[in-house]
Amino acid sequence: MQETTADIFIARAEAAAAQVHVVPDEAAAEREVESIRAEKGAAGGAVGVVRAAKGIAQTGTCIVVADDEALRLDTMLPEVSVILLDRADILPDLPSAAPFLREQQTQGRASYVSFITGPSRTADIERVSAIGVHGPLELHIVLIGGRP
Amino acid sequence: MSYAHEIEAALKDGFLRRTLDKFAVEYRAGRDRVFAEVDERALIQRIADVKDDAARHMEELYEKFRAEAEKRGAVVHRAKDAAEAREIIAQIAKENDVHKIVKSKSMTAEEIGLNAHLEAAGIEVNETDLGEWIVQLRHERPSHMVMPAIHLSRGQVADEFEKTTGRAQDHEDVQKLVKTARAELRPKFHAADMGISGANFLVAETGAFAIVTNEGNGRLVNTLPRVHVALAGLDKLVPTLDDALTALQVLPRNATGQRLTSYVTFIDGATACAKSPTGRKILHIVLLDNGRADLARDPLFSQIYRCVRCGACANVCPVFRLVGGHRMGHVYVGAIGLVLTYLYHDRAAAKKLCPNCVGCGACKDVCSGGIDLPRLIQEIRARFAKEDGEPMVSRLARYAMRKRTTFHRLLKFMRFAQKPFAGKDGFVRHLPMALFGKQGFKSLPTLAKKSFRELWEKRGSWLVVRDSEPRTANHEPRTTKIALFAGCALDFSLPHQLVAAMKVFAHFGVEVEFPMEQTCCGLPLVSLGEKETALDVARQNVAAFAGEYDAIVTLCASCASHLKHWYAATLGAEAEAFSAKVMDFSSFVHDKLGLTEKDFARLDWKVAYHASCHLCRELGVKEAPRALISAAAHYTPTPEEESCCGFGGSWSMKFPAISKELMHKKLDNACSGDATHLALDCPGCTIQLRGGADREKRTIQVVHVAEVLAAALPPS
Repeated sequence: MQETTADIFIARAEAAAAQVHVVPDEAAAEREVESIRAEKGAAGGAVGVVRAAKGIAQTGTCIVVADDEALRLDTMLPEVSVILLDRADILPDLPSAAPFLREQQTQGRASYVSFITGPSRTADIERVSAIGVHGPLELHIVLIGGRP
Repeated sequence: MSYAHEIEAALKDGFLRRTLDKFAVEYRAGRDRVFAEVDERALIQRIADVKDDAARHMEELYEKFRAEAEKRGAVVHRAKDAAEAREIIAQIAKENDVHKIVKSKSMTAEEIGLNAHLEAAGIEVNETDLGEWIVQLRHERPSHMVMPAIHLSRGQVADEFEKTTGRAQDHEDVQKLVKTARAELRPKFHAADMGISGANFLVAETGAFAIVTNEGNGRLVNTLPRVHVALAGLDKLVPTLDDALTALQVLPRNATGQRLTSYVTFIDGATACAKSPTGRKILHIVLLDNGRADLARDPLFSQIYRCVRCGACANVCPVFRLVGGHRMGHVYVGAIGLVLTYLYHDRAAAKKLCPNCVGCGACKDVCSGGIDLPRLIQEIRARFAKEDGEPMVSRLARYAMRKRTTFHRLLKFMRFAQKPFAGKDGFVRHLPMALFGKQGFKSLPTLAKKSFRELWEKRGSWLVVRDSEPRTANHEPRTTKIALFAGCALDFSLPHQLVAAMKVFAHFGVEVEFPMEQTCCGLPLVSLGEKETALDVARQNVAAFAGEYDAIVTLCASCASHLKHWYAATLGAEAEAFSAKVMDFSSFVHDKLGLTEKDFARLDWKVAYHASCHLCRELGVKEAPRALISAAAHYTPTPEEESCCGFGGSWSMKFPAISKELMHKKLDNACSGDATHLALDCPGCTIQLRGGADREKRTIQVVHVAEVLAAALPPS
């Protein structure tokens, strides 16, 4: 069976240490988010939830328009970050994001667009990979309509 | 401490050696894995083209960027040098009543020495990138552009964190140390009045800039404080978003083997900011010139604009691998660091560092923008040589080599003079090794009793072409006629390798001429900065090979690459036909004659292969020698076949301690399997590895690929 764009997205996002939750529709997505909130919240961790405008299959990336400061901080400060992404919004590769980015940057207002690929990480001490430095320790992607 | 002493100390640093050794091998593997998914060469070419074009149109791009960014509420500054940039940023801090600053990683800030300047103004500056923070706490410089603290052990980091926090730290668990950094720095982000970041791309079409990070500190730096200053060199300007996104396919792959870093942030203009009195971010973008505008017009050095600061040139540098970034860079590290040190910072430091490039070309091969780094470093060395006036060795070389007859008479005299010390095995013997000092790590070759040109004049029976018809398995329709370019080292020290090649040529019916007027290819002269004499000898060679030949074949990869590339680039049309005909031995035999296993009586030798730098990178020849070895014997792959053996011409005389380590590693790798022979395509590597194998009493035989083939010729 041929690999779909969504399949590639899932594989690459997981390779970047994101956890992908595939759900059929919006209602299921809401339930999934609630269950992540309940589980992580019970463990004492803060959970930030935002919606991605686009995804990139080649790199397993979520593109989040974060002009709003509070929304932006929701992807930065909490230990657990949840991003909702619609399967239909997944682009094949980085260059194919140019038109979207251009649209954001030519609307007559300042913009802040984040490409997020996995949780925050570092290898600055002895090149040992450590997940979760200044940003989230976990990144959950709720992929809506991900797989039939 | 002198540079030589610094190097010796680094070579004895067991932790550094283990870390960088492991990194070098793992980096290659990771890089190969992620580049397999994209068209690496095409992407590098696109980056080169885009950035070359950006350099040519820098002023227009700057104007466009400034207009677009200011339209969106940013203030754009242009600083002509480091001092002005420091002052602009200090002024912004003052105007906005800034007392505390958080910084994310910016090599440009390192370039201008920003922290010290701000601290002198009474401002608290905290680095927030983990590696940068560690080196800041230790009052050190980053030893790598991407991994600033790669030279430190977790124990050293834990000690430093104990001093800073006043609490005991886990000395083993890196994850816990990372958590300490998170906890320590989080309040500093919240308390800061101003954030300073670099920028990886400045996009002219929309006035946006992009910041590429992994840790998430960059986003906090540009979000939480009310003031944000983005500092970047003018070389970060690109025309369009497409250009930035194209380069983003290479930058993380090359830097860390990631498809993309955790965060890439595009900011265009001043977004909403709760802490700011106006409700909008106070956004200043400081663009640093510091010589960049002039360089954009330099015919040779403008290519440094293609640099995206990925650090790959350090990651693959064999010298960096041994001595670390503090000995292989100043502010910027690795090959680009050597060049930028000369261009932007500190000529005295550059003068110390630039001689320490072995010239293996590994950096050029992986560079995100295809910058010809070895050539730039060589040019810098030549400029220093010119400024200093000629050293004795250059004057001697010029005197000796301008006229071939003088040069060859001199070599004959040396052969006479070496007589008492020449062993029968082709090495200098009968001398106490102490006499060689630090050069004594390898046995030195003698000049041969008879040079190849003398043998040729006598025309032994081995020179007779036995068939007029070629008789390779894949019959070529006509007789091939070649001219042989010997090269000094083969001609005078290793003529037996040329004799082996002649046997192969004779067996397969190749007609060979040896133009007696040929002389040194000129590569050593270029290394000494003697360009005029190098041009002289180049012209002599072109004239000597004016006859009708199908190919000009040489057994020396270094000569081949010089005759092909430097001649063509420097002499232009004059050398065009000559350069086009130059072929290395393996390519000629494999590609032109089409020899395969059917042509040989296979030997029982197990042959490891050393890919000479000039062959595998400068000439891009990878398959031919390995295929020939497989055809004539048993090819035994060994680790890191394409890493440098540490010869590097006169470099090894200047840095014997590093040369020795590279040689030792190469021999260790070659001997790691059950190889009986180590084959190669270059006399420089032969001198290094044969001498090293002899000195280290290794049983492996170092031979030219031609010798393997000659030994495997079936009886006629």
